[in-house]
Amino acid sequence: MVRIITASASFAVLAAALGSSCALAADKPVYGVLMKTLSNPYWGAVEQGVRAAAKEADVEYFTLAAESDQAAEPQLNACNTMLEKKPVVMITAAINSTILLPCLNHANELKIPVIDLDGNLDPEITKKAGVEVAFHIGSENEAAGAKGADYVAETLGKDAKGAVLVIEGLSGNITGQKRARGFANELKKVAPSLTIVASLPGDWDRQKAANIANETLQRNPDLVAIFCANDGMALGAVEAARSAGKDKLIVVGVDGNSDAVKSVLAGRLNASVAQLPYLVGKEAVANAQKVLAGGKVDENIYVPTLVLTKAVLEAKKDPLLAYVK
Amino acid sequence: MPILSIPKEPFGPAVMTAAPSAATRWRVRLTSATAFRIESLLALAVMTAVMTVAAWPYFLTVSNALNILLATSTLGVIAIGMTFVISSAGIDLSVGSLMAFSGVVGCLAVNNLDAPWPVGILACVIAGALAGAVNGSLIARAAIPAFIVTLGMLGVARGVALVLTKGVPVYGLPDPIVYLGQGRPWGIPAPVILLLATALIAHVVLIHTRFGLYAQVIGDNEGAARAMGVRVERMKVLIYALSGGLAGFAGLIFAARVNAGDPTAGSSYELTAVTATIVGGTNLFGGRGSILGTVIGALIMGVLQNGLNLIGVSSYYQQIAIGAVLVFAVWLNRLNRSEGRRR
Repeated sequence: MVRIITASASFAVLAAALGSSCALAADKPVYGVLMKTLSNPYWGAVEQGVRAAAKEADVEYFTLAAESDQAAEPQLNACNTMLEKKPVVMITAAINSTILLPCLNHANELKIPVIDLDGNLDPEITKKAGVEVAFHIGSENEAAGAKGADYVAETLGKDAKGAVLVIEGLSGNITGQKRARGFANELKKVAPSLTIVASLPGDWDRQKAANIANETLQRNPDLVAIFCANDGMALGAVEAARSAGKDKLIVVGVDGNSDAVKSVLAGRLNASVAQLPYLVGKEAVANAQKVLAGGKVDENIYVPTLVLTKAVLEAKKDPLLAYVK
Repeated sequence: MPILSIPKEPFGPAVMTAAPSAATRWRVRLTSATAFRIESLLALAVMTAVMTVAAWPYFLTVSNALNILLATSTLGVIAIGMTFVISSAGIDLSVGSLMAFSGVVGCLAVNNLDAPWPVGILACVIAGALAGAVNGSLIARAAIPAFIVTLGMLGVARGVALVLTKGVPVYGLPDPIVYLGQGRPWGIPAPVILLLATALIAHVVLIHTRFGLYAQVIGDNEGAARAMGVRVERMKVLIYALSGGLAGFAGLIFAARVNAGDPTAGSSYELTAVTATIVGGTNLFGGRGSILGTVIGALIMGVLQNGLNLIGVSSYYQQIAIGAVLVFAVWLNRLNRSEGRRR
């Protein structure tokens, strides 16, 4: 029995050590920020932007994230827990379009404004569920795709002829679909002689994208450009193209992550349409302040994107480069 | 192990060495029902006290207590099924995926096939139970290890759920089903009531019926169970069907809670459910199970997660804490048992 008590005591110490020194001072208004997962560099950068803006505005913020971007129910539970702290605003990046709805409904009842990071909530579904969203903020995915098409047309010339391959994201994923659609629509306008020979799901996977690029090159040796819905896949595709000896083939990705920046600087990947997650976090807090002060903001706020090429990165002139992390 | 062997006194060397009498048999029952979860209850109390102080004043409120219970409800229901499986010396890794699969099946039944809502409810539970019966049949009759069969089902069920929904949640359920997830009779969230009712029934089944007894006997000594005339193969099919059915029920509760069939529901819940079961004092190698212990185990996980969230501890540290609690709770169980029956 003594050993059990000793053991329990040591357990208490362990638990206390885990729980100590983290108490939050509650005198300033607290902004609740609910992320998907911080193990994705994108959300890490959003959090940095939130931190910078909160510091500037002199408000406290309270971040929670699920352990992975698949942990749907834990995120809902974290959302409910967050409401216990009575935040003045809820800035959320829902894991999917439905998971947070009961919690956000409750937030509405408590008159806490709800903000959607990166368009994870579907306006049609939130309307059905009676959830009121103060504003959606994020990059416009179709515009990002369109910028990719503009870059291809600029580089190859608007009368260029040849085959183009599009590698989409996970099948059924709205983000990947929007980027691919934006690219295809814009390409038709700016370079009508380029034809998209295939648009295939690469499941956000580097290896899979490399395989798709290889197979398409076998079938269409006249391939002149590949557009990928994210950088990971673009990095796979560019390596496949270069090892097949296609040095002139243009490969464009989306995201502007650090690996892509390295590859662009090394002269391998041609361009990446950079999303600016840091700016997304910063602007989310800034606009939340406006809402809290009773001001009006747009229902959809788009944060600009930036096409990163070797020339842009080396010139270091574009002010938006400061937000590329 | 307690059921078939003559039990030693839990709190000291043998007073009773005679042949098993009615009293001993009682004690066996009591032992499996209550004695082994004292330390889990202690752990829960200590954890609650620590969180109360560390997350003052947010933790110790009625609404937060209901939050914890609500957050524990699906996991608790799954872990109850897991208790039967582990008591019988098995393992079911497919429960998290079956939760998603069943929820999706139920939602599609009412949404795309226009089935009435009671059919939707039945569809969830039956889909889970059938998949569980497939698990049990492969384990018992094809003699494939439970670990492999249910690992396979983990992939298959998740994959089917994703295929059926194309990866996008199916939104919108009839009101009576939504009430099961969002209703608040007497101010208590409906999922909490469903969890408690499930636990009560499962407790009676495990402790007071032949089904529960046989499950534990199989876990204790399969050969002896056979010699006793227990139809082991049939029992295993039923045990895994029960686990699958409860996973389906959890899928129903979750779908009702979010008003959608979500193909990503319950991801990695199999491990959390095993943890809750073991923390609650069920023997990982079978022969002894406790439903009340499992519910306490699930609550420990719930309190831990809720408290750490309130304090604002990052989800990385939370995983460390949960891992530590598992090992710690099993160690406590060890201590207690070696004290009771030092050889």
